This record gives sequence, C-alpha cells and structure tokens, in this order.
Amino acid sequence: MWLGQLIAALCVIGLGAGVIVFSWDLQYFSEFGPGPGFLPQLLGYGITLCGAVILIKVLRAKERGGGFVKPRTLLGAKFLALIIPAFLLFPVLGFSVGLALLTGVTMRIMGRHDWLQCLITTVAVAVGIRYVFADWLTIPIPAGLLGW
Amino acid sequence: MEILQNLMTGFGIALSLQNIGYCLAGVFFGQMIGVLPGIGAPTAIAILLPLTFHVNPTSAIIMFAGIYYGVAYGGTITSVLINVPGESSSVMTCVDGYAMAQKGRAGAALSVAAIGSWIAGTFAVVLLMCFAPALAKFALRFGPGEYFGLALMSFGLLTVFGGGDPIKVIFSTLVGLLIATIGLDVVSGVPRFAFGVPQLLGGIDFVVVICGIFGLAEVFNSIEEPEEGELLKQKIRLKDVFLTKADWIASRWAIVRGGIIGFFVGIIPAGGITTASFLAYLAEKRVSKHPERFGKGAIEGVAAPESANNAASISGFAPLLALGIPGSPTTAVMLAGFMMWGIRPGPLLFQNNADLVWGLIASKFMGNLILLIMNLFLIPLFVLVLRVPYTILMNFIVIFAAVGAYTVNNNLFDVWVMVGFGILGYLMKKLNYPIVPLVLGLVLGRLAENSLRQALTISGGSISIFIERPITVIFLILALLGYLTPLIRWGMRRFGLRGLGLNVEKL
Repeated sequence: MWLGQLIAALCVIGLGAGVIVFSWDLQYFSEFGPGPGFLPQLLGYGITLCGAVILIKVLRAKERGGGFVKPRTLLGAKFLALIIPAFLLFPVLGFSVGLALLTGVTMRIMGRHDWLQCLITTVAVAVGIRYVFADWLTIPIPAGLLGW
Repeated sequence: MEILQNLMTGFGIALSLQNIGYCLAGVFFGQMIGVLPGIGAPTAIAILLPLTFHVNPTSAIIMFAGIYYGVAYGGTITSVLINVPGESSSVMTCVDGYAMAQKGRAGAALSVAAIGSWIAGTFAVVLLMCFAPALAKFALRFGPGEYFGLALMSFGLLTVFGGGDPIKVIFSTLVGLLIATIGLDVVSGVPRFAFGVPQLLGGIDFVVVICGIFGLAEVFNSIEEPEEGELLKQKIRLKDVFLTKADWIASRWAIVRGGIIGFFVGIIPAGGITTASFLAYLAEKRVSKHPERFGKGAIEGVAAPESANNAASISGFAPLLALGIPGSPTTAVMLAGFMMWGIRPGPLLFQNNADLVWGLIASKFMGNLILLIMNLFLIPLFVLVLRVPYTILMNFIVIFAAVGAYTVNNNLFDVWVMVGFGILGYLMKKLNYPIVPLVLGLVLGRLAENSLRQALTISGGSISIFIERPITVIFLILALLGYLTPLIRWGMRRFGLRGLGLNVEKL
C-alpha cells in the first residue's frame, strides 16, 4: 500500500501542477474584480502544496507494508472489465438489453449462478428496465437495434 | 403562533394521499437500503435523484427525507443481528446491540432503537421547527462575504469532523472545488478546463459525479471488501419487542441525552450523524454509574447512539434549508436535488417555497411514526433483504447509477464520466482519501467562488471586506480553527496533553 500511497501523492502533485499550467492563460484579475483564473490558480497551488505534504508524510512513514492488490481486487477489476464492453455496446444493444446482459453475465461469471437463473434474471431485468424507466418514468433511455 | 399556522399548512400538504405514499415509500426503502451493507443514504438518494425529474419537488423531498432517516434506522438491524453496521452511524450500536442479541434480547435492542429514534426524532423536529425559521431570518442579513465565510467554515469543519488525515481532507475539498470550476465561467463566459470537449462546456453535473463516486465506487469497494457477518439464528416474536419497566428506566435519560446531543451536532455543518452517535455513546458511558456494563449489552448503549443519529439526521436539515449549506453527505446530495428542481435553499426558501419547507417539516412527524410502526412489525421482512445475493444487488446499483447519470443531459458522455468518477471514488477510498469533502466542495463550489468574486468586486479587490462585518469574522475564525486542527492535535500530542478521547478503539 505504501507504493500506492507514493504514486497517489505524486499524482496529486501532478494534478496541482497541471491545474496551474492550464489556468495560467486564464485572466487572474480583471477590472471588475477576480477573473476566471483566480480560483483555479489558487486551487492549483493548494493542491500542489497538499501533494507535497502528503509525499513527505509517505516518505517518512515507518510502516511500508500492505499490498495494493487484495485477494478480491481482481474480482472488482473483472466487474469493471464487464461494465466497459456493456456500456460500449449501448448504441447497438440499447440500455435495457445492455444492462440486462451485464446482470446475467456477472451473475454467471462472478456469482456462479446456474444458467436458468441467469437467463430468467436477464429477461426480467430487460423488461423491468424498459417498463420502469422508459414507460413508467418516461425517461428517454436509448434503444438499440432491436428497438428496445 | 405563526409557527403553528405554518405547521398546520404543512400538515395539509404532508397528509395528502400522494405525499403519505411518498413518505411511506421513502421510509420503507430507506430501511431496506440501511439493512444492505455497501449502500448508504447518499448513494440511494443520488441514484434515485434523476428519476424524480417529473415528480413534484415537495413529494420528492419528502420521500428523500424518509429515505434518510429510514437508512439511519435500517443500519441498526444489521448492527444488532449480524454485528455489521449497515451504516457508519450505526457503528456504536454494534457494541451493545450485538451483545444484547447474543443474550437473546435482539427484540428489545431493536425496539429501544426504534422508540428512541422516534422520541428523539420528534423532539428534533419540534426544535427544527423553531430553530430553522429563526436561522433563516438571521441569514437574510448575509452578503457575499458572509456566504464565502460560511462555505469556508463548512470546509474547515470537515477537517475536524471528517476523520482521517486532515491534509487529505483539504486536498479532497480542493478537488471538489476544482471540478465545480469546469465549464464556462458564469461571469466572463470563458471556458475553463473544457479541453475542447463540447460536453464539458456546461460543466460536470454533480448528480453524475455523485452517481459514480457513491454508487459505482461503493460497488467496487464492496466487491473487494465485503462486509460479512453471521446472522444470529434468533426468532424475534412480537412479545420480544416490548420493553420491560427496567429497560424503560435504564434508557429514558439516554434517549433524552442522545436526542439533545444529536440535534446540536447535526446542526453543525459537517457534524454529521456518525459523529452524533459516537458522542452520544461516549457521553452515556461517562455519565453512567456502571460504565463497566457498556460493551456487554447495556440497553442505554443502544438507546443513546440511535436517538442521536435520528435527531442529527433531522437537525441536519436546518443548515440546508435556512442557509443552503449541507451538513452531511446526504444533505449535500439533497442540495443537488433542490438545484435540479430549480429551487435554491437558503433564507428566502422559507418565503418563496413555504409550502415545501413546512410540508417537509410536517412529514417528519408522520415519517417518524411510520418508522416506529414499521419497526415494531416488519423486522423479519427487512432481515430477508440480507439474503439477496450481492451479484444481483450490485447490478441494480449499476443500473440505477447508469440511468441516473444518463438522465441528467440525456447523453452517454455523462455515463462514461460517471464510470470515471466511480473508479476515482474507489481509488480514493482504498488510499484513505475521504470522499465527502469532495462532494461538499463540488456542491458548494459555485456558491463559494461566486461569493468570493462578488465580495472582492464590491471591495475593489480589497480583502478588508472579510473583516468588516462580525459574522464573517466569526465564520472565518471557525474556518481557521478547523484548518489549524492538525497543528493543534500535533501540539497536544507533542506536549503530552490529552484530547477529547474520541477514540473508537478505546470505547
């Protein structure tokens, strides 16, 4: 975890520096008072300072044990790996079918539920999303090629 | 007299069939959500918020208030029965609640929590009724300097009450403020941090951020570190939930003290219901003639924190309604809701939207009563919710978060932004960077920046405007004290002074 904290501290400093650089061109003070760059620049300096303090604390830490990756971290990564293609396929599958497939696939891969349970849940979720969000709450959720 | 008249108007609104239904639904779903580990009130409200676009704001806010105090109680059920707090505000309830359950007194523990919550909640509503309008009247005198000071004080107090590393709290607040600056500057019209992406010109909507940072991030965190506990195989019969005379005597003052502590801690911006329950437990242990009973199933150890967290969940509405400043992550999400419905909480809310305010206050009387009745009869049903497999539950969260993020602007870009914030929230929690300050910074960012710029414009760039009026000075001193807390704590440790002793491990 120490390495993770170190990388995070460096990212914080990088973020602060980035904010300073990108807000540099924004006007700091105008004739009517503070300009659009006033707060962003202050935030940039503040974030950099926080990053520096965090970095010093991390470097001075005596305890450096504990890994970033825990036994179940990969399970979370697996779920993210399932979410991304499902969301990418929204324009093709639509919201209801895409999210229902995500549910069925995660139930099968991560929950080890049997095929029948996964299939029934997938169909129920697709119908449920369509009925609750599109028909009942009248939210214009995107439909896919199937028209759902 | 005026308060009573307003309250009557409020009851007229709250007791409509539609609003009773929303209140009932809010309390019911709030308790179900409270029972489920990994989903808190902010998450529940955040993912449901975009779905209330078409609902009357008064009904929606009544439902969300019901969810808020329903969640505060729902967490108690898991604390008592499986020693896992469904909510952080129920952590202290685990200590004596679970010990009572092991002795076969789970029914009494749940019952005293419900009754204590009801008494303290009702007491808090009465105080809120008197306090919030007075606070709003007082706040009418506030100018941009005062509002900037108030926002700064809220951020400063987070370093005191937020827990964890104060530097990380400050960093997290700054990131929230930074996200709030994305998009077109309202004064000059200049784009900031949009990087040529047209969808970013309008800024990043807080609902999208909240859906990711509370909804999706919680899923990742719960997958990695599931909160598991063993459900006590104990049948809770109706007769078990009735308290004995000895229980009443032991818990009556604990409820009163818990209610008072909860109310006042809840009012403090960033005070929060978790702090209230910690302080109430600590206070109860200190005043007890038999502190050695605490941790071994003392009924007052359940009554005090439960009364406090319910009272705080109600008094937390005072700064939100009267000042437009949220006191907790949940009220921060509700502030986002108010803005989504085109309503600006603050001193003028009591004049411009009196129906909403008094309808909400009156609904709290009703909600607390519904909570009590439900808890006395529906506990076995809520326990059943614990048996829902997490693989199904996490998909429901993702579905609501995705649809919620999409609904804000009806575009898929926001869904990806939500995923980005989900990953950010997960990493922040894993690396001990607090999330709540980010949300508060984001929600109050526009108010803080606009107030600062207005104040400096009025004064021609002179910062003397912040020391001209006593209220601003008080806010700024409190903010400064908040920010200096790390140094004060360091000094106390360095010179061997003891703090307040608010150490969970020692309790």
